[in-house]
Amino acid sequence: MSDTSKYETTGVRVAPTPVFPRGASKAFELRVVAVWVTLFALFVLFFMSFGLKFSFIAERFPALAGLRLTKDGFIQGAALTLFVCFFSIIASSALGLISALGRLSSSAICYGISTFYTSFFRGTPLLVQIFLIYLGLPQLGPVPDAIPAGIIALSLNYGAYLSEIFRSGIMSVPLGQREAGMSLGLPRWVVFWTITLPQATRIVIPPTGSQFIAMLKDSSLISVMGVWEIMFLAQSFGRSSYRYIEMLTTAATIYWILSICFEIIQSRLELKFGKGYSKAR
Amino acid sequence: MRRLLVASVLAPGLLAGLTTAALAGETLDRVMKNKLLVEVTDQAYPPFSYIDEAGEVVGFDVDISKEIAKRLGVEYKVETPSWEIIVAGNWNGRWDICVCSMTPTKERAEVLDFVNEYYSAPANVVVNVDNNDIKSAADLNGKKVGAQAGTTYEKYVQKQLVIEVPGGTAKIDYPFAEATVVPYDSEDTAFQDLALGTGKRLDAIVSGYLTAKERVDNAPDKFKIVGDPLYGEPIWVAVDKGDPEWEAKIKEIFKAMSDDGTLKAISEKWLDTDISTKQ
Repeated sequence: MSDTSKYETTGVRVAPTPVFPRGASKAFELRVVAVWVTLFALFVLFFMSFGLKFSFIAERFPALAGLRLTKDGFIQGAALTLFVCFFSIIASSALGLISALGRLSSSAICYGISTFYTSFFRGTPLLVQIFLIYLGLPQLGPVPDAIPAGIIALSLNYGAYLSEIFRSGIMSVPLGQREAGMSLGLPRWVVFWTITLPQATRIVIPPTGSQFIAMLKDSSLISVMGVWEIMFLAQSFGRSSYRYIEMLTTAATIYWILSICFEIIQSRLELKFGKGYSKAR
Repeated sequence: MRRLLVASVLAPGLLAGLTTAALAGETLDRVMKNKLLVEVTDQAYPPFSYIDEAGEVVGFDVDISKEIAKRLGVEYKVETPSWEIIVAGNWNGRWDICVCSMTPTKERAEVLDFVNEYYSAPANVVVNVDNNDIKSAADLNGKKVGAQAGTTYEKYVQKQLVIEVPGGTAKIDYPFAEATVVPYDSEDTAFQDLALGTGKRLDAIVSGYLTAKERVDNAPDKFKIVGDPLYGEPIWVAVDKGDPEWEAKIKEIFKAMSDDGTLKAISEKWLDTDISTKQ
C-alpha cells in the first residue's frame, strides 16, 4: 500500500501503455503501427469492394450511433446498448462475486445454489434465457418490460461466467496473505476486503474485460424483444430497404469502436491494480 | 434458512417493481384507463410497417392503428418485438392490438383471436411486355406459368389452393382448365426467365401484386401486370384471447373507417390502389 502512495505523490507514471509489450523498442512499436495501418487499409479496401451506398449510411448513422433520440424521446442505438451494458456490468459483477463466494463457502446450501446457478446459466444459450425471462416470467405474475428483461438476462448469464473468473482470482491469492492478516487480529471481512480482493482484482481484470466486451456484442440478442439497440436498428433499416450490408457494416464499425473503448478502460484498470507488480523505476 | 426465506419473499417484489402490472383480460378497460393504445407490429415489412429514415415507425398498418387510437380518443404507441414473440400469443397485457399483416392459420388461432379481415393481399398474372395473347387468368390454359415454390401462387396454378379463414375456407375461382406450373426457389430467377421472351422458358408468372408491381415499375420495358387480381390472401387483425367487448369495439371502428372511406384512403396513400376489405 505504501508503494502506491509513493508513486502518487511523486507523480511517476508507471509502465508504458500496455498496447506494446513492456520494454519494447521504438523500432518495434513503429513496425507494429505499420502492420496495423496496412491491415486496416486492406480491410477498408475489402469493404469498399461491396459498392456501399454511403449516403444511405450517412442518413441512418446518427440513429445507430445513438446521437439522436427516438420519436418518443428515448435513447436508441449505441446509447441504448451502453445503457443496458452499464447496468448489466454492475449487476453481473455483484452476482459473480456473490456466487464465487458461495462456491468457496463451507455452507452446503450456498455451495449448492451457487453451483446450480453457474451450471444453468453457463449451460443454456443466452437467447433461450432472454425468451424464458421475457415470455416465461409472466406465467408467474410479473410482466417485465423489454429493457429490464434484457438487463436481467445479461446480468444472470454473465454473472455465471464471472463467478468462475472471480473464484480463480480469489484462489490465486497465496494463503499466506490471508494468514498474515488474520495473525494481525483483523476480522475476516476486513482481510477479504483489503487484502485478498485487491490482489485478486489484478488477476481477474483481463478475463473480466473480455467478458464485458463479449457482453457488449451479446446485448444485440435483446433486439428480439424490440429493444431499439444498434443491431435492431441495423436490421430494421437494412431489411426494409434491401441495404442490409450497409447497415451491417455500420453496426460492426460501431461495435468495434465501443470494444476499443472497453479495451482502453481495461488496460487503465490493469495499470492501476498492477502497480505493486510493475518494474520500479 | 431464514435468510433464504426472506430472499424468496423479497425477490418477486423486486421484480414486480421493474415491471408493468399484469391485468387479467379486459383489454378495452386497460386501453381506456391508461388512455393508450399499444400496437404491436413487424419492424421491417414495407410498405405496411417499417422504420423510415427519420426513425419513425410508419406504414399502412401503422396508419390504420393510429386511426383506431384517434377514434378511441387515446394516445398511440407502437412496439416491434420479433415476429415469433408476436405470434406466440400470451401477450399478458403488453400489447392491445396487432394490425400487422397477419394471415390467419389454425395454429395461430389457438393462441390469438382473429377479429376481422382488413385487407386482402392480391395475386396477379405478370407477362412479358410483348405478350398480347394473355389478357387474364382465363388465357393461362396450357401455358407454362412460373411461381415461387411453396407459396399460395404455386398452389393456385396447380388448382389446389386452400385458404383457411376463421369460420371456414375462402372460395377460389380457377378460370383456366389446366396450366403447367414451373416452380422456382426465388422469384428473381422466374422474372429473369420471363424477361427472355414469351415462351422461351415461361409464358407468365403468378405473383403477389405488391412485389410484382415493384418489379414492373423498375422494368416497365420488360414486364406488365394483366387482368384482375386472381384471389386475395386474407389479412386479419389479431388480439390476445379473452376480451369479446374489445373485439366488438374494433369491429365497430373498422366498420366506420370502411364506411367513411378512411381505409380506402390509407390504402391508396401507401399502395396507390385500394386493397382494403369492405367491412
